[in-house]
Amino acid sequence: MTLAIDATDLEKDYGDVRALDGLNLSVEQGEFFGLLGPNGAGKTTFINTLVGLVRKTGGEVTVFGNDVEDEYREVRDSIGLAPQEFNVDRFFPIREVLMHKAGYHGVSEAERERRADEALKLVGIYDKRNTRFDWLSGGMKRRLLLARAIVTEPNLLILDEPTAGVDVQLRHDLWEVINRLNDEGTTILLTTHYIEEAERLCDRVAIMDSGRKVTVATPEELTERGSDTITVELRDPPASAPPLDGLSEVEDTRLEDDRLAVRVAGSGGRVAPRLLNALEDRGHEITDIDISRTSLEEIFVELTEGQRGSDEPDGDGTGEDGTADEPARLAGEAR
Amino acid sequence: MVENPVSARFYTLLEREVQRFVRRPWNTFLPPMITNVLYFSVFGVILGTRIQEIQGFSYILFLLPGLVVLGAISNAFENASFSIFHGRWNEYIHETITSPLSYTEMVLAYVLSSASRGIVVGVIIAVIGAFFTPVGVEQPFYLVAFMLVVSLLFAALGVVGGLVAKDFDHLTVMNQFILRPLVFFGGVFYSLEILPSLWRTVSLLNPMVYMVNGVRYGFLGYSDVDPNTALAVLSGLTIGVVALDIAMFARGYGLTD
Ligand SMILES: Nc1ncnc2c1ncn2[C@@H]1O[C@H](COP(=O)(O)OP(=O)(O)OP(=O)(O)O)[C@@H](O)[C@H]1O
Ligand SMILES: [Mg+2]
Repeated sequence: MTLAIDATDLEKDYGDVRALDGLNLSVEQGEFFGLLGPNGAGKTTFINTLVGLVRKTGGEVTVFGNDVEDEYREVRDSIGLAPQEFNVDRFFPIREVLMHKAGYHGVSEAERERRADEALKLVGIYDKRNTRFDWLSGGMKRRLLLARAIVTEPNLLILDEPTAGVDVQLRHDLWEVINRLNDEGTTILLTTHYIEEAERLCDRVAIMDSGRKVTVATPEELTERGSDTITVELRDPPASAPPLDGLSEVEDTRLEDDRLAVRVAGSGGRVAPRLLNALEDRGHEITDIDISRTSLEEIFVELTEGQRGSDEPDGDGTGEDGTADEPARLAGEAR
Repeated sequence: MVENPVSARFYTLLEREVQRFVRRPWNTFLPPMITNVLYFSVFGVILGTRIQEIQGFSYILFLLPGLVVLGAISNAFENASFSIFHGRWNEYIHETITSPLSYTEMVLAYVLSSASRGIVVGVIIAVIGAFFTPVGVEQPFYLVAFMLVVSLLFAALGVVGGLVAKDFDHLTVMNQFILRPLVFFGGVFYSLEILPSLWRTVSLLNPMVYMVNGVRYGFLGYSDVDPNTALAVLSGLTIGVVALDIAMFARGYGLTD
């Protein structure tokens, strides 16, 4: 099956600023794909190269197998974009704005009206249909961007921070709409700074930084890479933390009053039974246990800070991406 | 996925662009009406009686075709340049350029809609003029042909203006420092016959001279220059500028980062 998005060695320079620095990324059809990265990582630049708002400096990108420059019309026909910044027609009432957008995609006149109404109802601003964009509230504007993106029934829906600065209610509404579209087969590319949003919605996430991909994985795989902390409460705490030589996963132990905190690589749930056995073998009585996972957010911070702090990652080592050596590096780094 | 042929996309943009000025007549059609009532009153009626006939025509009649051209081209230019620049400024032109229209369709929609505004304004001015002096149409074919070509040419130039402008002042500058001088020395207000021969020759380098004389030939049957040559040159120029527009859109000039 052709990929929904396939980027190879993609580069973009804005003057001296290198916004995309050899980005390799592929998104499969039907996927719900998250694109994470700190401010200025190049997420919006990447998205804009797909729709023709940014001209790439080098590399290749295809959307459903069509080259973004040579087959620009096919590419643009297949994409619905809700951009990060508001860029909506100010002359016409929003219902007409949606009809125009559908018309640009070749949708027939009668069908345009139906689609515009449907999209406005879906995002819950149908009663504002005769209002101009400038007179909508901030959250309504966000909703309209989504309506405009879906009015053409795209195969690839791109959402560039759709939930930035919107209330909880709207966020849940948006998630519901997007999830339904994804269930119906629409490929979704989402950028967000709410990590838990990506964790909750996405099949896979890519983390990018400084115009490059740092890693791609499922949210579960990513959290697996972090270290979990198992905290056990001991009835008669020893004077110092007991040695746990038998357990190779243990990275660090710390004793505070009656609480022993043990940091382990990988899943805390898998290590916990053996840890308890080891402690009981030593005669400790355990009154309580708690396992806390590293959040995706912590992983994210580590991955992107790692990039920033260390020397430039070497060209050949990163290659396709830096996935292979990430867990080791993560585990090795001080917290 | 595509439910209609190419035409639906193109007509949507064309219709949008036409609606943009039709729905705001107070901004688009009223100002040229007022300006031209003033022109005809001052230059035609008040001053015109003191100016002798030019090539056998009263001054107001000689003036009328020039004012029609002036109104048509400045409105065609303003429409295209403003629509594109405003769309760039507020970024809503992204709606169009991220859609599956071909670059040629985009350009033709902007050019044809803007030219149609120019032609409508030209007709309005002719009608206003007819209230001040009886005027006929001696050469209907040439009148229609020249009006079409000059409106298209300036609509196409307006597209260039809208793409190269960096802020709103640039649009004003283009209008004041390029369009106006060309018009004033383009034989709107006088016949080339009255110029010393050196200046007459220099004037022939001004494309405006051919436009004004072409339209004047349509109305009055009189022209300082050969209308066929003028029509051919202007048509060639128009095709060239439209081709430039398309190349600029394809290159993303002023539209993409
Ligand atoms: N039009 C532009 N001209 C010059 N530099 C730009 C332009 N757009 C983006 N940049 C630069 O390119 C880099 C990547 O920006 P981009 O907007 O793609 O980041 P982003 O990942 O979307 O960030 P954010 O999370 O803040 O939206 C930044 O250094 C930014 O300053
Ligand atoms: Mg961004």
